[in-house]
Amino acid sequence: MKASRVNRKKRRHVPVPIASMGDIAFLLIIFFLVCSEVSKDNTNLQVSLPESRHVAKNEDTFAARVAIDESGEIFLDGVRVDGAKDIEWGVRALLTSTVTEEQRYVQFKCDSVISKETFEPVIKAISEAGGRLKAVGELEN
Amino acid sequence: MGKKAQERKRRLRNGEIPTNSFSDIAFLLIIYFLVATTLVKVKTITAEMPTGEKNAQSQSDKTPTINLRAGDIHFNDKKVDIEELNNKLAELDLPAKDPSKRVILLESVQGTPYQDYFQALATISAHGGVVALVEEE
Repeated sequence: MKASRVNRKKRRHVPVPIASMGDIAFLLIIFFLVCSEVSKDNTNLQVSLPESRHVAKNEDTFAARVAIDESGEIFLDGVRVDGAKDIEWGVRALLTSTVTEEQRYVQFKCDSVISKETFEPVIKAISEAGGRLKAVGELEN
Repeated sequence: MGKKAQERKRRLRNGEIPTNSFSDIAFLLIIYFLVATTLVKVKTITAEMPTGEKNAQSQSDKTPTINLRAGDIHFNDKKVDIEELNNKLAELDLPAKDPSKRVILLESVQGTPYQDYFQALATISAHGGVVALVEEE
């Protein structure tokens, strides 16, 4: 008699409330979608970065991204441009709505073998457009 | 007929949409976002440069100058390596100076690779210097 009561107790179905699980999950998805920022960094670029022991992890957000690949082609926010003048106008346009100094950071990525004739006009263009240069590099071994 | 089959039949009769798998789909989507997201944090140096229009100011004799010539670094016309340049810039104690006195002129010859330039820029920035690029006339 006693044993059969125990067995009956064991078999009792205890439902776990899972009705709201779907809602929670969708709320999480919406949170991720709203909070995430689509990267404008063109990761397909062939760039071997220069090395230095003074580089540090960047915590700031960039107003614009300028890159020069191994063939010397110049890109502004992933779009190929013809020269430094385009960079100056492009960066100037992107910086028009900025207010603080921290909003004027411009990421500069350049291949380590590119010569001065190619990269220096671009650096000057960023500077003349009012951008604050953040040059990307790798930590020296 | 089993209990489950009866339940299914009742649902079909009532025209209910099966929503049991919704949470699975949602969690799969979350897992996809978590796996596909890459948190990129690049390593950078901040090169402080005079911004705005070009300044035709001539070079002052007292302004420290770094020259990059054919792979060599010259600090005030004296050949140094990157370690000595570090020491020399540290001796200047630039962060303690007025911003206008923190200017370091960076001059380079044609064909200087970006690697050398970056090293000099990083060293100047690390010691609180403001980089001024020298343009050939």
